[in-house]
Amino acid sequence: MEHLIEFILAVFLITNLMMAASSRLMHCVKIVMIQGLLLGLLPLFLGHLDTMHLIAALLNISIKGIALPYLLVAAIKRADVCRELEPLVGYSTSLVIVLLFFAVSFWLGTKLPAEESYLQLATPTAVATMLTGLFIVMARRKAITQAIGFLTFENGISLFGTGRMLDFGVAVELGILLDVLVLVFVMGIAVMRIKREFQHIDSDKLHNLGDREEAE
Amino acid sequence: MFELYLLLLPLFGGILIYLCNKNITVIRTLLVLTALLHNAGCALLILYPHWNIPIFRQYLGADEIFQFVLGIMSFLFLCAAAHAYSWLPVEHKHDPHHMPINVFCAVLCTFVFTMTLTAVARNYGLLWVAVEATTLASAPLINFHRSAGSTEAMWKYLLICSVGIGLALFGTFLLGMSAKMPDGTAAGLNFSAFGKDVIIHPDYFKAAFIFCFAGYGLKMGLAPFHTWLPDAHSEAPSMVSVMLSGTLLNCSFLAIIRVFNIAPDPLQNFCKDYFVIFGVLSLAVAAFFIIKQSDYKRMLAYSSVEHMGLLAIMWGLSMQEITLLHMTFHSLCKMMLFLIAGNILVAYGTRKVDQVHGMFARLKRNGTLWLVGIILICGMPPSPLFLTELMLIQRAGFVLGGIIILFLFMVFCGMTYNAVRMTMGDDLTCPVREQDLDAERLFKVPAVILVILILSGISMILENYYNL
Repeated sequence: MEHLIEFILAVFLITNLMMAASSRLMHCVKIVMIQGLLLGLLPLFLGHLDTMHLIAALLNISIKGIALPYLLVAAIKRADVCRELEPLVGYSTSLVIVLLFFAVSFWLGTKLPAEESYLQLATPTAVATMLTGLFIVMARRKAITQAIGFLTFENGISLFGTGRMLDFGVAVELGILLDVLVLVFVMGIAVMRIKREFQHIDSDKLHNLGDREEAE
Repeated sequence: MFELYLLLLPLFGGILIYLCNKNITVIRTLLVLTALLHNAGCALLILYPHWNIPIFRQYLGADEIFQFVLGIMSFLFLCAAAHAYSWLPVEHKHDPHHMPINVFCAVLCTFVFTMTLTAVARNYGLLWVAVEATTLASAPLINFHRSAGSTEAMWKYLLICSVGIGLALFGTFLLGMSAKMPDGTAAGLNFSAFGKDVIIHPDYFKAAFIFCFAGYGLKMGLAPFHTWLPDAHSEAPSMVSVMLSGTLLNCSFLAIIRVFNIAPDPLQNFCKDYFVIFGVLSLAVAAFFIIKQSDYKRMLAYSSVEHMGLLAIMWGLSMQEITLLHMTFHSLCKMMLFLIAGNILVAYGTRKVDQVHGMFARLKRNGTLWLVGIILICGMPPSPLFLTELMLIQRAGFVLGGIIILFLFMVFCGMTYNAVRMTMGDDLTCPVREQDLDAERLFKVPAVILVILILSGISMILENYYNL
């Protein structure tokens, strides 16, 4: 079991690298889907299995692994984009930066007082995933890619909470899942509105609002 | 039981409204009715707490701080609904390309549901879920006019706030890790679990507080995380701005207070420093942006940043009761101003200060209310805010008090300069137009609020005068 958990966490790290290097949006959606599936599977290998855990895992898999990618794909089709051309930070630079994040988060991981052996590996992986997600939000232009980046960020947080979530109450776990689902739904609508209003979804070109004096 | 009623009522009202398709009269009546019933429930819960039968105790419940937040929220919802009763047809007449009214009102009710959940949640996880849900429910409301600007504002609001609130979720998990029962088991995240015998790991708690403060502080509009706020609050239609500025910011502040309240004694000062530092920073940022502001709705939005800063400073200096008073009157005052700003927008069709002239000649009622409202929100007597700000400065001491006065003075200069420019001067347009008449008819709710504000301000000042 221990090896399986380590394997899952390692795959998680690899998906982060793939996320930083891929330009095709469909590819990014697939990566988020894989992360969602892994997140759903992870609690099953943590030892204590009961009905609540099983239901939570099933819900996790169905929402993060199926519903969210479906919504994202629908938004991508509506917005009619398939690639992230000319990102603000190039793909090779992104890879290096994400590798740096890994180094930083594993260094941080050694500083934390870890009580369970699982946490020693999971916490740095979670932090690395969060940082990667935030980086994607900042370094990409397309609104859709930013939404995907946010999902990666959220996956990182969930990874951090895996195994503890049910101590916090079932309503909390379900509420968080529901929130993320609705969030992606609303973001999909927002992307559609941006597309209709501006004929593109480049968020860096959304700069009409602000406090500067307009030259009129 | 009342909590459950308060939660389900707006949801139920929202569904009914959604089903009423295009019948504006029925929709606006239902909206006011929902607000009235919500107020009645709130009043029962606050005035007769012993009638309440606890239900889902783990997750829902009532306490003192929440009464303020919930009471303000409910009252503002009523005022906004009453204003919307006459505003919706006017808006529909002048700008028919908006979001369908039934969708708009239904989402507004959902928004009220999420804010009620924030106020009554008794579990840190549920609190997070509720605060995130407020973002989701309010984002579509900003896009009411379906303009390029409001779409941009909606996207920025959605993305920035979601990421910010994500940080708060991380903080919430850290909070869950920090608390242990004496026998070593996890304490969970229920408020009731953080009683006397819980052991809180100080380092984890520090990290948890910082992340929660950053996340909820972003939602509350504290600088330097305030960047989304002026965009969202100025692009939203005025009755949504009212809900965003007057109640949503309070809800986020409540979330921070909830985390702060369980801080172990040695860490109290550590947390208070954060309140003061970020409060002063917000005050400074707001002052500098208000003084050269050319958009009157953005000016009001920055004024919200300023007042959130003041609230944070007050809380950091342990002036709990004053903070709650300030919060109440700021919400009322800001509501009135945003409603008037909406009326000005109806009449002039622009948010630029330099294109609005001679309101005293053209919009007598709105002009008067606007100027008096601006003077009140700057903390001039007889505003109730005058008293709370005075007490803050007394408590803050020489250096901090001096800094606060300086920034408050800058805010005063910026806001009154703009307000005077808008109200005085000659009216350059020809005869009175239809929009002007419509805007003048929308003065009732703001006028009532103004009277309440002035009366409570005078009574508070007199009360203090005779007590001293």
